[in-house]
Amino acid sequence: MPSIPLARLISVLAVLCVMSACQTLPTDAFRLSETALKTRELQTREYDSVNDHAILSASMAVLQDMGYAIDEIEKELGVLSASKRADATNDFATIGSIAMDAMKCLVTLGLGCTGSNYGELDDVQDIRLTLVTRPQREEEEDVSVRITIQRIIWDKKGRVSEQETITDQDVYVAFFAKLSTAVFLEQEGI
Amino acid sequence: MIHRIQTLALLLMLSACVPQNAVITDGGSQVQIRQIQTREYDTLDKSDTLRSIIGTLQDLGFVIDKADHELATISATKLQNYQIRMTITVRERDGERLAVRANARFNEKTIEDALAYQDFFAVLDKAMFLTLHEVD
Repeated sequence: MPSIPLARLISVLAVLCVMSACQTLPTDAFRLSETALKTRELQTREYDSVNDHAILSASMAVLQDMGYAIDEIEKELGVLSASKRADATNDFATIGSIAMDAMKCLVTLGLGCTGSNYGELDDVQDIRLTLVTRPQREEEEDVSVRITIQRIIWDKKGRVSEQETITDQDVYVAFFAKLSTAVFLEQEGI
Repeated sequence: MIHRIQTLALLLMLSACVPQNAVITDGGSQVQIRQIQTREYDTLDKSDTLRSIIGTLQDLGFVIDKADHELATISATKLQNYQIRMTITVRERDGERLAVRANARFNEKTIEDALAYQDFFAVLDKAMFLTLHEVD
């Protein structure tokens, strides 16, 4: 067997590396981002004169209202995890991709009818949410509540389309508005 | 040309030659890895330590999957077009301090890069300092 030039071997290995999707760990994966403090504020609310068990109880009711399944509760540490699978389709994108696929089919006289645009459309999303309560030191009856939300979006072919942490302010504002109402109802025993 | 194809086929076979079952028990008993994954704190307050860890993980963009006060274990996941899964355990050492051990997996591989753990503990150190000195 003749010897193989090193450069060629390296290029083959590089191709194999790409094929096996050898993504490297980002250097900032365990570093606080510049927006970490702002994100923390966005994800946190403080509730006065209420204990953390009442908050957990109210949170469970709100999450159930929103169709979440409660996966995990740790009362001692005030941790509650919940998840739900939801629709991720977009009507406009669906119409657009069907039109694109039809056009491709027509232009290629039937040879390019792969439906590839439609297949790449977002289909469903798995949303996971964790809520953590933390009693404030000065006032035992004051509790801070922080929620973090993530989701994985799957396309119509069952591939991961996106995986992300939700940082949209509106989502957190909407959640805390519902939680505040639920805490009030809980305190009033309604 | 045939030799090239043979070489490529050999490399492909080599790249796939780790038996599927071997990954179930690979790793472990590596003193060095254990050292870079562990940090000790001069406190015996397990609750405060666990809460500091949870806060740190949330600051770093993780969602808490599981938390157990009794076993002092926390699991969390970060999704950011990649996936990092962390498990953190807290154990008492010599009756006078707590050892926090963190191990993380990036996609399908264990993170063995000391710098990644240094970064994590740098953030946790600050949270622990604030907790131990009762500052929120």
